[in-house]
Amino acid sequence: MITVRRSAERGHFDRGWINTYHTFSFGSYSDEAHNGFRALRVLNDDRIAPGKGFGAHGHRDMEIFTYVLEGGLAHNDSTGERHVLRPNEIQAMSAGTGVIHSEFNASQTEPVHLLQIWIQPAAEDVPPRYQQFAYDPSEKQNRLRLLVGPDRNPPEPAAFIHQDARAYASVLAPGKTLEQPIAPGRHAWVHCASGNIIVNGYTLQEGDAVAMSGERAAMLAGCGPSGGELLLIDLA
Amino acid sequence: MSPINALVVFYSRRGKSESMALAAGVGAIQARANIRLRRLADLAGPEAIKTDAAWSENVERMNKDYIAPREIDAQWADVLILAAPPDRTEEMERYLDSAKAAIQGKTGAVLGTFTSKAVAAGLAVVQPAEATADAAAATAYGRRAVETARAAKAGAAGG
Repeated sequence: MITVRRSAERGHFDRGWINTYHTFSFGSYSDEAHNGFRALRVLNDDRIAPGKGFGAHGHRDMEIFTYVLEGGLAHNDSTGERHVLRPNEIQAMSAGTGVIHSEFNASQTEPVHLLQIWIQPAAEDVPPRYQQFAYDPSEKQNRLRLLVGPDRNPPEPAAFIHQDARAYASVLAPGKTLEQPIAPGRHAWVHCASGNIIVNGYTLQEGDAVAMSGERAAMLAGCGPSGGELLLIDLA
Repeated sequence: MSPINALVVFYSRRGKSESMALAAGVGAIQARANIRLRRLADLAGPEAIKTDAAWSENVERMNKDYIAPREIDAQWADVLILAAPPDRTEEMERYLDSAKAAIQGKTGAVLGTFTSKAVAAGLAVVQPAEATADAAAATAYGRRAVETARAAKAGAAGG
């Protein structure tokens, strides 16, 4: 079964300093029909104005990873980690027993556009952990590049998360196709981050997504004038 | 487990008391409290701050990371976790005076040398308070403060 979640159906708030779309219930957006998908709890599509951001706040028992599409996001946290996250980098944080952090647009002149994804962990009370690394953009060109997963020795450098879920990124040129098998009993969420893609016959544009259950594979293709960029999250 | 709201209020110039407040805040999260973090504004003017490079740099960052406490924060809180440098308690003392009505009878945790002022403002300060600069002790203290507030809330509900 494939269920389409259109961009315009998401929770939307333009607060001036942030223009945000919530795929699932988050903050003051609450929709019983969209409280998450499997262990995927939050998928926020944020555009943050120059110099603005989220002040210090706490998290507990959540796997949080951030995918920057444009600009830079400065991260400070109570474990002493201070970094700027940019496109073609992956950042994942296990909040575990507790983390306090802030996130701000690192630029005073340019906006930052990012996706922030929260995944419910399989285990609570794990030690907090922060990971960030860069990869070459060619690694996601017309292929799925693993970003996060539960494997201690992943097939390519990826952030570890405490959940049986794997997130991949891909940039698909127009007409390029990929087939990603979905193992029996597993599920997939495919989010179109930018441009245009086709997933199992459904045409998606920026912000659209599909939930896939009981499908044998995700058939992905770039379309439109310049193709598209996507995140695929494989979930138990 | 009943939800507990922890308000962390601190005054810091060069970041040390901020670190202690964050460490205690992490303890509050460990004890599964909802937290809000607030920094007290400097009583000193911008000219005085500019004379100290470390203070000036940290103030700029901290003013982004934190807003000042509001009355509704104190009303929201079940427990207040307070931190200030041992040699600079005036900002905290003024806050305690101004928030007295909202914090009366609530559980308090004091990281600093202003315990008597906190008690005078009506907070039930969890003892022993932590005057130490040890982050692990501050985390344990934050946890203990939330557990104390939770027990007090459960007792009030049951009694």
